[in-house]
Amino acid sequence: MSAEAKPLPPPVPFLRAAKAVFDLSLEEMVWSRKSLVMAGLLLLPVGLALLFRVVANLKHAPAGIDLYGLVVAMYYLRNALPLASLFFATALIADEVEGRTITYLLSRPVSRASILCGKFAAYVVTGLTLTLPGIVASFFLLVPIRGFAGLAAFVPDLLRDLGVAALALCAYGALFALLGVLLKRPTIPGLVFLIGWESLANLPGWLPRYTVTAWVRSLVRHRPVDEGLAELFQTTLPTGEAIAVLVAITILGLAGAYGIFSRKQFVLDQ
Amino acid sequence: MSGAIEFARASCWYGPVIALNDVSATIGPGVTGLLGPNGAGKSTFLKLAAGQLKPSQGEVTVLGAPAWGAPEVFHRVGLCPEPDAFWDGLSGWQFVTFLLRLSGFDDAEVKRRAEAALAEVDLLAAKDRRIGGYSKGMRQRVKLAQAIAHDPQVLLLDEPLTGMDPVNRHRVVELVKRLGREGRTIVMSSHVLYEVEAMTRNVLLVHQGRILAEGDVREIRDLLDEHPHAASVRARDPRRVARAVLDLPEVVSVEFGEGGESVVVRTTRPDAFYTALTEVAEEAGVHEVFSPDEDLESVFKYLLARRGGAR
Repeated sequence: MSAEAKPLPPPVPFLRAAKAVFDLSLEEMVWSRKSLVMAGLLLLPVGLALLFRVVANLKHAPAGIDLYGLVVAMYYLRNALPLASLFFATALIADEVEGRTITYLLSRPVSRASILCGKFAAYVVTGLTLTLPGIVASFFLLVPIRGFAGLAAFVPDLLRDLGVAALALCAYGALFALLGVLLKRPTIPGLVFLIGWESLANLPGWLPRYTVTAWVRSLVRHRPVDEGLAELFQTTLPTGEAIAVLVAITILGLAGAYGIFSRKQFVLDQ
Repeated sequence: MSGAIEFARASCWYGPVIALNDVSATIGPGVTGLLGPNGAGKSTFLKLAAGQLKPSQGEVTVLGAPAWGAPEVFHRVGLCPEPDAFWDGLSGWQFVTFLLRLSGFDDAEVKRRAEAALAEVDLLAAKDRRIGGYSKGMRQRVKLAQAIAHDPQVLLLDEPLTGMDPVNRHRVVELVKRLGREGRTIVMSSHVLYEVEAMTRNVLLVHQGRILAEGDVREIRDLLDEHPHAASVRARDPRRVARAVLDLPEVVSVEFGEGGESVVVRTTRPDAFYTALTEVAEEAGVHEVFSPDEDLESVFKYLLARRGGAR
Protein backbone atom coordinates (compact mmCIF):
# COMPACT_ATOMS: atom_id res chain seq x y z
CA MET A 1 0.00 0.00 0.00
CA SER A 2 1.09 3.53 -0.51
CA ALA A 3 0.95 4.02 3.24
CA GLU A 4 3.79 1.57 3.69
CA ALA A 5 5.73 2.69 0.67
CA LYS A 6 6.29 6.17 2.09
CA PRO A 7 9.25 6.06 4.46
CA LEU A 8 8.57 7.41 7.90
CA PRO A 9 10.49 10.55 8.86
CA PRO A 10 12.87 10.18 11.82
CA PRO A 11 11.71 11.14 15.32
CA VAL A 12 11.68 14.82 16.25
CA PRO A 13 15.27 15.94 17.00
CA PHE A 14 16.26 15.31 20.61
CA LEU A 15 16.81 18.92 21.69
CA ARG A 16 13.66 20.19 20.03
CA ALA A 17 11.54 17.53 21.70
CA ALA A 18 13.28 17.96 25.05
CA LYS A 19 12.71 21.74 24.87
CA ALA A 20 8.97 21.25 24.27
CA VAL A 21 8.75 18.85 27.23
CA PHE A 22 10.86 21.21 29.32
CA ASP A 23 8.55 24.15 28.62
CA LEU A 24 5.43 22.24 29.61
CA SER A 25 7.03 20.61 32.65
CA LEU A 26 8.45 23.88 33.92
CA GLU A 27 5.04 25.52 33.69
CA GLU A 28 3.46 22.58 35.49
CA MET A 29 6.14 22.47 38.22
CA VAL A 30 6.47 26.17 38.91
CA TRP A 31 2.75 26.66 39.42
CA SER A 32 2.14 23.45 41.34
CA ARG A 33 1.13 23.22 45.00
CA LYS A 34 4.24 21.17 45.54
CA SER A 35 6.35 24.16 44.49
CA LEU A 36 4.55 26.42 46.94
CA VAL A 37 5.26 24.01 49.80
CA MET A 38 8.87 23.58 48.69
CA ALA A 39 9.32 27.32 48.30
CA GLY A 40 8.17 27.69 51.90
CA LEU A 41 10.59 24.99 53.00
CA LEU A 42 13.51 26.39 51.05
CA LEU A 43 12.91 30.00 52.05
CA LEU A 44 12.36 29.20 55.72
CA PRO A 45 15.97 30.03 56.69
CA VAL A 46 15.57 33.46 55.09
CA GLY A 47 12.65 34.20 57.36
CA LEU A 48 14.53 32.87 60.37
CA ALA A 49 17.61 34.90 59.42
CA LEU A 50 15.51 38.03 59.22
CA LEU A 51 13.96 37.27 62.58
CA PHE A 52 17.40 36.58 64.02
CA ARG A 53 18.68 39.93 62.83
CA VAL A 54 15.73 41.71 64.36
CA VAL A 55 15.54 40.04 67.76
CA ALA A 56 18.97 38.55 68.54
CA ASN A 57 21.72 40.32 70.44
CA LEU A 58 24.14 40.50 67.54
CA LYS A 59 27.11 41.43 69.75
CA HIS A 60 27.06 38.00 71.37
CA ALA A 61 26.04 36.08 68.28
CA PRO A 62 28.43 33.62 66.63
CA ALA A 63 30.29 34.77 63.56
CA GLY A 64 27.99 35.38 60.60
CA ILE A 65 29.88 33.02 58.32
CA ASP A 66 29.49 30.20 60.87
CA LEU A 67 25.75 30.73 61.09
CA TYR A 68 25.51 30.84 57.33
CA GLY A 69 27.64 27.67 57.12
CA LEU A 70 25.24 25.95 59.51
CA VAL A 71 22.26 26.95 57.40
CA VAL A 72 23.86 25.76 54.17
CA ALA A 73 25.38 22.53 55.42
CA MET A 74 22.76 21.37 57.88
CA TYR A 75 19.58 22.85 56.51
CA TYR A 76 19.90 23.15 52.77
CA LEU A 77 22.34 20.44 51.77
CA ARG A 78 21.49 17.85 54.40
CA ASN A 79 17.72 18.23 54.60
CA ALA A 80 15.73 20.69 52.50
CA LEU A 81 17.40 20.15 49.18
CA PRO A 82 17.32 16.33 49.26
CA LEU A 83 13.70 16.51 50.38
CA ALA A 84 12.79 18.89 47.55
CA SER A 85 14.62 16.59 45.13
CA LEU A 86 12.68 13.62 46.44
CA PHE A 87 9.30 15.24 45.94
CA PHE A 88 10.05 16.74 42.53
CA ALA A 89 12.24 14.11 40.92
CA THR A 90 10.27 11.01 41.89
CA ALA A 91 7.22 12.70 40.40
CA LEU A 92 8.81 13.50 37.04
CA ILE A 93 7.32 10.48 35.35
CA ALA A 94 5.13 9.15 38.19
CA ASP A 95 2.83 12.19 38.03
CA GLU A 96 2.33 11.68 34.30
CA VAL A 97 1.53 8.02 34.88
CA GLU A 98 -0.82 8.73 37.74
CA GLY A 99 -2.51 11.55 35.83
CA ARG A 100 -2.61 9.31 32.74
CA THR A 101 -1.11 12.10 30.66
CA ILE A 102 1.90 9.89 29.88
CA THR A 103 -0.16 8.52 26.98
CA TYR A 104 0.01 11.87 25.18
CA LEU A 105 3.77 12.07 25.59
CA LEU A 106 4.32 8.52 24.43
CA SER A 107 2.14 8.86 21.35
CA ARG A 108 4.28 11.55 19.72
CA PRO A 109 7.27 11.05 17.43
CA VAL A 110 9.80 11.77 20.15
CA SER A 111 12.33 9.56 21.88
CA ARG A 112 11.73 8.64 25.49
CA ALA A 113 15.18 10.01 26.26
CA SER A 114 14.06 13.48 25.17
CA ILE A 115 10.99 13.26 27.42
CA LEU A 116 13.07 12.25 30.44
CA CYS A 117 15.78 14.84 29.82
CA GLY A 118 13.25 17.63 29.21
CA LYS A 119 11.55 16.80 32.47
CA PHE A 120 14.80 16.49 34.37
CA ALA A 121 15.97 19.86 33.05
CA ALA A 122 12.69 21.41 34.21
CA TYR A 123 13.24 19.86 37.64
CA VAL A 124 16.78 21.26 37.87
CA VAL A 125 15.65 24.74 36.85
CA THR A 126 12.74 24.66 39.30
CA GLY A 127 14.99 23.35 42.06
CA LEU A 128 17.64 25.99 41.43
CA THR A 129 15.01 28.73 41.25
CA LEU A 130 13.67 27.69 44.62
CA THR A 131 17.00 26.94 46.32
CA LEU A 132 19.57 29.45 45.15
CA PRO A 133 17.71 32.63 46.14
CA GLY A 134 17.31 31.22 49.65
CA ILE A 135 21.03 30.50 49.95
CA VAL A 136 21.96 33.92 48.55
CA ALA A 137 19.52 35.70 50.84
CA SER A 138 20.76 33.73 53.85
CA PHE A 139 24.32 34.72 52.97
CA PHE A 140 23.56 38.41 52.81
CA LEU A 141 21.46 38.34 55.96
CA LEU A 142 23.79 36.28 58.12
CA VAL A 143 27.40 36.83 57.03
CA PRO A 144 27.44 40.62 57.53
CA ILE A 145 25.85 40.24 60.96
CA ARG A 146 28.54 42.42 62.50
CA GLY A 147 29.01 44.69 59.54
CA PHE A 148 29.76 44.49 55.87
CA ALA A 149 33.53 44.72 56.24
CA GLY A 150 35.17 41.61 54.89
CA LEU A 151 31.97 40.39 53.23
CA ALA A 152 33.68 40.23 49.83
CA ALA A 153 36.17 37.70 51.16
CA PHE A 154 33.34 35.21 51.70
CA VAL A 155 31.72 35.65 48.27
CA PRO A 156 33.79 32.76 46.82
CA ASP A 157 32.26 30.59 49.56
CA LEU A 158 28.82 31.63 48.43
CA LEU A 159 29.59 30.82 44.80
CA ARG A 160 31.01 27.49 45.87
CA ASP A 161 27.89 26.72 47.89
CA LEU A 162 25.67 27.57 44.95
CA GLY A 163 27.67 25.19 42.79
CA VAL A 164 27.47 22.46 45.42
CA ALA A 165 23.72 22.97 45.72
CA ALA A 166 23.34 22.64 41.95
CA LEU A 167 25.44 19.48 41.92
CA ALA A 168 23.51 18.03 44.84
CA LEU A 169 20.22 18.81 43.10
CA CYS A 170 21.40 16.93 40.03
CA ALA A 171 22.74 13.92 41.94
CA TYR A 172 19.74 13.53 44.24
CA GLY A 173 17.40 14.32 41.35
CA ALA A 174 18.87 11.60 39.13
CA LEU A 175 18.68 9.06 41.96
CA PHE A 176 15.09 9.94 42.72
CA ALA A 177 14.16 10.04 39.04
CA LEU A 178 15.41 6.46 38.89
CA LEU A 179 13.35 5.58 41.94
CA GLY A 180 10.35 7.31 40.37
CA VAL A 181 10.38 5.16 37.23
CA LEU A 182 11.33 2.03 39.12
CA LEU A 183 8.60 2.08 41.76
CA LYS A 184 4.94 2.85 41.58
CA ARG A 185 5.01 4.58 44.98
CA PRO A 186 8.50 5.94 45.42
CA THR A 187 8.00 8.54 48.18
CA ILE A 188 8.25 6.27 51.22
CA PRO A 189 11.32 4.37 49.97
CA GLY A 190 12.83 7.77 49.12
CA LEU A 191 12.22 9.03 52.65
CA VAL A 192 13.70 5.85 54.08
CA PHE A 193 16.77 6.45 51.93
CA LEU A 194 17.11 10.05 53.10
CA ILE A 195 16.48 9.45 56.78
CA GLY A 196 18.01 6.01 57.12
CA TRP A 197 20.68 5.35 54.54
CA GLU A 198 22.00 8.89 54.37
CA SER A 199 22.64 8.82 58.14
CA LEU A 200 25.51 6.43 57.42
CA ALA A 201 27.41 9.59 56.45
CA ASN A 202 27.88 10.26 60.17
CA LEU A 203 29.64 6.97 60.82
CA PRO A 204 33.39 6.53 60.68
CA GLY A 205 35.24 4.50 58.11
CA TRP A 206 34.21 3.70 54.57
CA LEU A 207 30.47 3.71 55.03
CA PRO A 208 30.02 7.45 54.33
CA ARG A 209 31.40 6.86 50.85
CA TYR A 210 28.20 4.96 50.08
CA THR A 211 26.01 7.96 50.80
CA VAL A 212 25.36 11.01 48.66
CA THR A 213 25.40 13.44 51.53
CA ALA A 214 29.02 12.66 52.54
CA TRP A 215 30.23 13.65 49.09
CA VAL A 216 28.05 16.76 49.04
CA ARG A 217 29.20 17.77 52.53
CA SER A 218 32.83 17.33 51.55
CA LEU A 219 32.49 20.05 48.95
CA VAL A 220 31.38 22.66 51.45
CA ARG A 221 34.40 24.50 52.78
CA HIS A 222 33.00 26.02 55.94
CA ARG A 223 31.95 23.56 58.61
CA PRO A 224 29.04 23.85 60.95
CA VAL A 225 29.92 25.07 64.41
CA ASP A 226 30.05 22.91 67.54
CA GLU A 227 29.19 19.56 66.11
CA GLY A 228 30.72 17.71 69.03
CA LEU A 229 31.23 13.97 68.53
CA ALA A 230 29.64 14.02 65.11
CA GLU A 231 32.40 16.35 64.01
CA LEU A 232 34.98 13.79 65.07
CA PHE A 233 33.40 11.08 63.00
CA GLN A 234 32.59 13.09 59.92
CA THR A 235 34.71 12.13 57.00
CA THR A 236 35.87 14.78 54.61
CA LEU A 237 36.39 13.29 51.21
CA PRO A 238 38.66 14.75 48.52
CA THR A 239 37.05 17.57 46.54
CA GLY A 240 37.92 16.28 43.08
CA GLU A 241 36.70 12.82 43.94
CA ALA A 242 33.51 14.26 45.41
CA ILE A 243 32.73 16.18 42.23
CA ALA A 244 33.46 13.12 40.11
CA VAL A 245 31.26 10.90 42.28
CA LEU A 246 28.33 13.34 42.24
CA VAL A 247 28.59 13.71 38.46
CA ALA A 248 28.79 9.92 38.15
CA ILE A 249 25.71 9.49 40.37
CA THR A 250 23.86 11.95 38.14
CA ILE A 251 24.85 10.21 34.93
CA LEU A 252 24.26 6.70 36.24
CA GLY A 253 20.98 7.68 37.87
CA LEU A 254 19.70 9.22 34.65
CA ALA A 255 20.98 6.33 32.56
CA GLY A 256 19.25 3.87 34.87
CA ALA A 257 16.06 5.91 34.79
CA TYR A 258 16.21 6.02 31.00
CA GLY A 259 16.88 2.28 30.83
CA ILE A 260 13.68 1.59 32.74
CA PHE A 261 11.65 4.40 31.20
CA SER A 262 12.45 3.29 27.67
CA ARG A 263 11.20 -0.24 28.26
CA LYS A 264 8.35 0.24 30.67
CA GLN A 265 4.73 -0.20 29.63
CA PHE A 266 3.19 2.53 31.73
CA VAL A 267 -0.32 1.56 30.77
CA LEU A 268 0.12 -1.38 33.12
CA ASP A 269 0.66 1.01 36.05
CA GLN A 270 -2.53 2.95 35.38
CA MET B 1 -3.09 -8.16 1.44
CA SER B 2 -1.52 -5.71 3.84
CA GLY B 3 -3.13 -2.88 5.77
CA ALA B 4 -2.05 0.18 7.68
CA ILE B 5 -2.50 -1.78 10.90
CA GLU B 6 -1.51 -5.42 11.15
CA PHE B 7 -1.94 -7.76 14.07
CA ALA B 8 -0.10 -11.03 13.53
CA ARG B 9 -1.04 -13.60 16.16
CA ALA B 10 -0.74 -10.88 18.80
CA SER B 11 -1.43 -11.68 22.41
CA CYS B 12 -1.21 -9.46 25.42
CA TRP B 13 -1.60 -10.42 29.02
CA TYR B 14 -1.48 -8.52 32.26
CA GLY B 15 -0.02 -10.99 34.71
CA PRO B 16 -2.36 -13.96 34.67
CA VAL B 17 -5.10 -12.07 32.80
CA ILE B 18 -5.21 -12.53 29.04
CA ALA B 19 -6.41 -9.25 27.60
CA LEU B 20 -5.94 -10.17 23.96
CA ASN B 21 -5.48 -13.71 22.75
CA ASP B 22 -3.80 -14.70 19.50
CA VAL B 23 -5.36 -11.95 17.45
CA SER B 24 -4.66 -11.61 13.75
CA ALA B 25 -6.24 -8.72 11.90
CA THR B 26 -5.53 -6.44 9.00
CA ILE B 27 -7.05 -3.01 9.00
CA GLY B 28 -6.96 -0.88 5.90
CA PRO B 29 -8.22 2.58 4.94
CA GLY B 30 -11.68 3.69 6.04
CA VAL B 31 -13.43 3.57 9.36
CA THR B 32 -13.36 0.31 11.29
CA GLY B 33 -15.47 -0.07 14.38
CA LEU B 34 -14.05 -2.05 17.23
CA LEU B 35 -17.01 -3.45 19.08
CA GLY B 36 -17.27 -5.35 22.27
CA PRO B 37 -18.52 -5.15 25.81
CA ASN B 38 -16.44 -3.56 28.55
CA GLY B 39 -13.40 -5.68 29.29
CA ALA B 40 -13.54 -7.40 25.91
CA GLY B 41 -10.06 -6.26 24.92
CA LYS B 42 -10.89 -3.25 22.73
CA SER B 43 -8.71 -0.83 24.66
CA THR B 44 -5.85 -3.33 24.76
CA PHE B 45 -6.18 -3.71 21.00
CA LEU B 46 -5.93 0.07 20.56
CA LYS B 47 -3.08 0.39 23.06
CA LEU B 48 -1.13 -2.23 21.17
CA ALA B 49 -1.78 -0.42 17.90
CA ALA B 50 -0.77 2.87 19.55
CA GLY B 51 2.49 1.46 20.89
CA GLN B 52 1.45 1.94 24.49
CA LEU B 53 1.73 -1.77 25.12
CA LYS B 54 4.17 -4.34 23.83
CA PRO B 55 2.61 -7.56 22.60
CA SER B 56 3.42 -10.45 24.91
CA GLN B 57 3.47 -12.62 21.81
CA GLY B 58 3.10 -11.98 18.10
CA GLU B 59 3.55 -8.73 16.28
CA VAL B 60 1.70 -5.48 15.79
CA THR B 61 2.77 -3.17 13.00
CA VAL B 62 1.48 0.20 11.98
CA LEU B 63 2.38 1.62 8.57
CA GLY B 64 4.95 -1.11 8.23
CA ALA B 65 6.80 -0.30 11.46
CA PRO B 66 6.49 -2.06 14.82
CA ALA B 67 3.94 -0.18 16.91
CA TRP B 68 6.03 -0.62 20.07
CA GLY B 69 9.37 1.14 20.29
CA ALA B 70 9.18 3.10 17.04
CA PRO B 71 8.25 6.67 17.96
CA GLU B 72 8.68 7.87 14.37
CA VAL B 73 5.43 6.13 13.49
CA PHE B 74 3.58 8.81 15.47
CA HIS B 75 4.27 11.34 12.74
CA ARG B 76 1.40 9.57 11.01
CA VAL B 77 -0.64 8.18 13.89
CA GLY B 78 -3.14 10.09 15.99
CA LEU B 79 -4.45 8.69 19.26
CA CYS B 80 -7.52 9.83 21.13
CA PRO B 81 -7.19 7.88 24.40
CA GLU B 82 -10.14 6.86 26.48
CA PRO B 83 -9.12 8.23 29.93
CA ASP B 84 -10.42 11.67 30.76
CA ALA B 85 -6.89 12.85 31.52
CA PHE B 86 -5.28 16.22 30.90
CA TRP B 87 -2.79 18.69 32.24
CA ASP B 88 -5.68 20.56 33.77
CA GLY B 89 -3.81 23.82 34.15
CA LEU B 90 -3.53 24.14 30.40
CA SER B 91 -6.05 25.78 28.13
CA GLY B 92 -7.34 23.88 25.13
CA TRP B 93 -5.05 25.97 22.96
CA GLN B 94 -1.97 25.25 25.08
CA PHE B 95 -2.80 21.55 25.13
CA VAL B 96 -3.10 21.20 21.37
CA THR B 97 -0.16 23.49 20.57
CA PHE B 98 2.12 21.69 23.03
CA LEU B 99 1.39 18.33 21.45
CA LEU B 100 1.85 19.77 17.97
CA ARG B 101 5.21 21.17 19.03
CA LEU B 102 6.05 17.70 20.25
CA SER B 103 5.21 16.46 16.77
CA GLY B 104 8.01 18.65 15.46
CA PHE B 105 6.13 21.51 13.81
CA ASP B 106 7.46 25.07 13.83
CA ASP B 107 5.57 27.86 15.53
CA ALA B 108 3.68 29.09 12.47
CA GLU B 109 2.59 25.58 11.55
CA VAL B 110 1.65 24.81 15.15
CA LYS B 111 -0.64 27.85 15.21
CA ARG B 112 -2.23 27.06 11.85
CA ARG B 113 -2.85 23.42 12.68
CA ALA B 114 -4.11 24.08 16.20
CA GLU B 115 -6.64 26.59 14.90
CA ALA B 116 -7.82 24.20 12.19
CA ALA B 117 -8.13 21.25 14.58
CA LEU B 118 -9.95 23.22 17.26
CA ALA B 119 -12.29 24.62 14.61
CA GLU B 120 -13.04 21.08 13.41
CA VAL B 121 -14.32 20.16 16.85
CA ASP B 122 -16.00 23.51 17.45
CA LEU B 123 -13.74 24.57 20.29
CA LEU B 124 -12.12 27.63 18.78
CA ALA B 125 -14.27 29.98 20.86
CA ALA B 126 -13.32 28.16 24.07
CA LYS B 127 -9.66 27.62 23.22
CA ASP B 128 -8.32 29.94 25.88
CA ARG B 129 -10.33 28.43 28.72
CA ARG B 130 -8.63 25.95 31.01
CA ILE B 131 -9.39 22.34 30.20
CA GLY B 132 -10.15 21.82 33.89
CA GLY B 133 -13.21 24.01 33.37
CA TYR B 134 -14.39 22.23 30.22
CA SER B 135 -17.48 20.02 30.16
CA LYS B 136 -17.01 16.30 29.57
CA GLY B 137 -18.05 16.71 25.94
CA MET B 138 -15.58 19.56 25.41
CA ARG B 139 -12.81 17.50 26.95
CA GLN B 140 -13.62 14.67 24.56
CA ARG B 141 -13.46 17.10 21.67
CA VAL B 142 -10.15 18.64 22.67
CA LYS B 143 -8.72 15.12 22.88
CA LEU B 144 -9.95 14.53 19.36
CA ALA B 145 -8.45 17.84 18.25
CA GLN B 146 -4.98 16.85 19.41
CA ALA B 147 -5.38 13.48 17.69
CA ILE B 148 -6.21 14.97 14.28
CA ALA B 149 -4.13 18.17 14.46
CA HIS B 150 -1.02 16.68 12.87
CA ASP B 151 -3.05 15.24 10.00
CA PRO B 152 -2.37 11.58 10.76
CA GLN B 153 -2.83 8.78 8.29
CA VAL B 154 -3.92 6.41 11.04
CA LEU B 155 -6.36 7.52 13.70
CA LEU B 156 -7.05 5.47 16.81
CA LEU B 157 -10.12 6.58 18.72
CA ASP B 158 -10.95 4.98 22.04
CA GLU B 159 -14.60 5.61 22.89
CA PRO B 160 -14.48 9.11 21.35
CA LEU B 161 -18.18 9.96 21.61
CA THR B 162 -18.52 9.44 25.35
CA GLY B 163 -20.16 12.38 27.04
CA MET B 164 -20.90 14.37 23.89
CA ASP B 165 -24.21 16.10 23.32
CA PRO B 166 -26.22 15.08 20.22
CA VAL B 167 -25.14 18.09 18.16
CA ASN B 168 -21.45 17.53 18.73
CA ARG B 169 -21.86 13.78 18.48
CA HIS B 170 -23.27 14.30 15.01
CA ARG B 171 -20.48 16.71 14.18
CA VAL B 172 -17.80 14.26 15.28
CA VAL B 173 -19.48 11.35 13.50
CA GLU B 174 -19.49 13.35 10.26
CA LEU B 175 -15.86 14.38 10.82
CA VAL B 176 -14.75 10.78 11.36
CA LYS B 177 -16.70 9.60 8.31
CA ARG B 178 -15.13 12.32 6.20
CA LEU B 179 -11.63 11.46 7.41
CA GLY B 180 -12.32 7.84 6.58
CA ARG B 181 -13.54 8.74 3.09
CA GLU B 182 -10.30 10.68 2.58
CA GLY B 183 -8.45 7.37 2.79
CA ARG B 184 -7.24 7.45 6.38
CA THR B 185 -7.26 4.31 8.45
CA ILE B 186 -9.48 4.92 11.44
CA VAL B 187 -10.19 2.48 14.23
CA MET B 188 -12.88 3.51 16.66
CA SER B 189 -13.71 1.47 19.72
CA SER B 190 -17.04 1.54 21.39
CA HIS B 191 -19.33 -0.63 23.41
CA VAL B 192 -22.29 1.37 22.15
CA LEU B 193 -23.32 -0.19 18.90
CA TYR B 194 -25.25 2.65 17.40
CA GLU B 195 -22.20 4.88 17.74
CA VAL B 196 -20.21 2.59 15.50
CA GLU B 197 -23.16 1.96 13.25
CA ALA B 198 -23.42 5.70 12.65
CA MET B 199 -19.88 5.77 11.30
CA THR B 200 -19.29 2.49 9.53
CA ARG B 201 -20.52 -0.94 8.59
CA ASN B 202 -16.99 -2.29 8.81
CA VAL B 203 -16.56 -3.83 12.23
CA LEU B 204 -14.35 -6.03 14.32
CA LEU B 205 -16.24 -7.75 17.08
CA VAL B 206 -14.06 -8.36 20.12
CA HIS B 207 -15.01 -10.60 22.99
CA GLN B 208 -12.89 -12.07 25.76
CA GLY B 209 -9.69 -11.02 24.05
CA ARG B 210 -10.48 -12.56 20.72
CA ILE B 211 -11.80 -11.30 17.42
CA LEU B 212 -15.23 -12.82 17.30
CA ALA B 213 -15.97 -11.75 13.73
CA GLU B 214 -14.88 -9.11 11.28
CA GLY B 215 -15.93 -7.46 8.07
CA ASP B 216 -19.12 -5.88 6.85
CA VAL B 217 -22.22 -6.65 8.87
CA ARG B 218 -23.51 -8.70 5.91
CA GLU B 219 -20.24 -10.62 5.68
CA ILE B 220 -20.42 -11.30 9.35
CA ARG B 221 -23.85 -12.74 8.92
CA ASP B 222 -22.57 -15.03 6.17
CA LEU B 223 -20.17 -16.46 8.70
CA LEU B 224 -23.07 -17.43 10.87
CA ASP B 225 -24.46 -20.45 9.16
CA GLU B 226 -26.65 -21.19 12.12
CA HIS B 227 -27.75 -17.65 12.65
CA PRO B 228 -31.51 -17.44 12.10
CA HIS B 229 -32.80 -14.59 10.05
CA ALA B 230 -35.20 -12.40 11.98
CA ALA B 231 -38.13 -10.59 10.49
CA SER B 232 -40.50 -8.28 12.28
CA VAL B 233 -43.95 -8.18 10.81
CA ARG B 234 -46.41 -5.44 11.69
CA ALA B 235 -49.97 -6.50 10.93
CA ARG B 236 -53.59 -5.87 11.86
CA ASP B 237 -53.76 -9.48 13.03
CA PRO B 238 -50.27 -10.61 14.03
CA ARG B 239 -51.71 -13.82 15.54
CA ARG B 240 -52.85 -14.89 12.12
CA VAL B 241 -49.29 -14.43 10.84
CA ALA B 242 -47.96 -16.43 13.74
CA ARG B 243 -50.37 -19.29 13.09
CA ALA B 244 -49.38 -19.36 9.42
CA VAL B 245 -45.65 -19.66 10.02
CA LEU B 246 -45.51 -21.54 13.27
CA ASP B 247 -45.65 -24.95 11.67
CA LEU B 248 -42.91 -24.26 9.15
CA PRO B 249 -40.06 -26.64 10.04
CA GLU B 250 -37.31 -24.00 9.72
CA VAL B 251 -38.95 -21.45 11.98
CA VAL B 252 -36.91 -21.27 15.16
CA SER B 253 -39.05 -18.93 17.22
CA VAL B 254 -42.06 -16.70 17.08
CA GLU B 255 -42.47 -13.81 19.52
CA PHE B 256 -44.99 -11.06 19.80
CA GLY B 257 -43.62 -7.57 19.81
CA GLU B 258 -44.36 -4.89 22.37
CA GLY B 259 -48.03 -3.97 22.41
CA GLY B 260 -48.93 -7.10 20.45
CA GLU B 261 -48.98 -5.24 17.13
CA SER B 262 -46.11 -7.09 15.58
CA VAL B 263 -44.59 -10.52 15.49
CA VAL B 264 -40.91 -11.35 15.26
CA VAL B 265 -40.11 -14.55 13.44
CA ARG B 266 -36.70 -16.23 13.38
CA THR B 267 -36.04 -18.73 10.67
CA THR B 268 -33.13 -20.50 9.04
CA ARG B 269 -35.02 -20.61 5.72
CA PRO B 270 -36.08 -17.00 4.97
CA ASP B 271 -37.39 -17.90 1.49
CA ALA B 272 -39.91 -20.42 2.87
CA PHE B 273 -40.97 -17.95 5.50
CA TYR B 274 -41.56 -15.13 3.01
CA THR B 275 -43.57 -17.46 0.77
CA ALA B 276 -45.82 -18.39 3.68
CA LEU B 277 -46.10 -14.77 4.70
CA THR B 278 -47.18 -13.69 1.25
CA GLU B 279 -50.02 -16.20 1.40
CA VAL B 280 -51.51 -14.69 4.53
CA ALA B 281 -50.49 -11.09 3.97
CA GLU B 282 -53.85 -9.80 2.83
CA GLU B 283 -55.89 -11.79 5.31
CA ALA B 284 -53.73 -10.72 8.27
CA GLY B 285 -53.41 -7.12 7.15
CA VAL B 286 -49.59 -7.07 6.97
CA HIS B 287 -48.45 -3.48 6.51
CA GLU B 288 -44.76 -3.52 7.39
CA VAL B 289 -41.96 -6.10 7.29
CA PHE B 290 -38.46 -5.31 8.32
CA SER B 291 -35.45 -7.19 9.54
CA PRO B 292 -34.12 -6.12 12.90
CA ASP B 293 -31.10 -8.17 11.89
CA GLU B 294 -29.96 -5.22 9.87
CA ASP B 295 -29.16 -3.56 13.15
CA LEU B 296 -25.62 -4.33 14.32
CA GLU B 297 -26.81 -4.99 17.78
CA SER B 298 -28.70 -8.16 16.92
CA VAL B 299 -25.67 -9.65 15.20
CA PHE B 300 -23.43 -8.67 18.10
CA LYS B 301 -25.72 -10.17 20.69
CA TYR B 302 -26.15 -13.29 18.65
CA LEU B 303 -22.42 -13.79 18.24
CA LEU B 304 -21.78 -13.27 21.91
CA ALA B 305 -24.55 -15.65 22.85
CA ARG B 306 -23.27 -18.29 20.44
CA ARG B 307 -19.73 -17.96 21.72
CA GLY B 308 -21.08 -18.22 25.27
CA GLY B 309 -23.09 -21.30 24.41
CA ALA B 310 -20.17 -22.98 22.75
CA ARG B 311 -18.05 -22.94 25.89
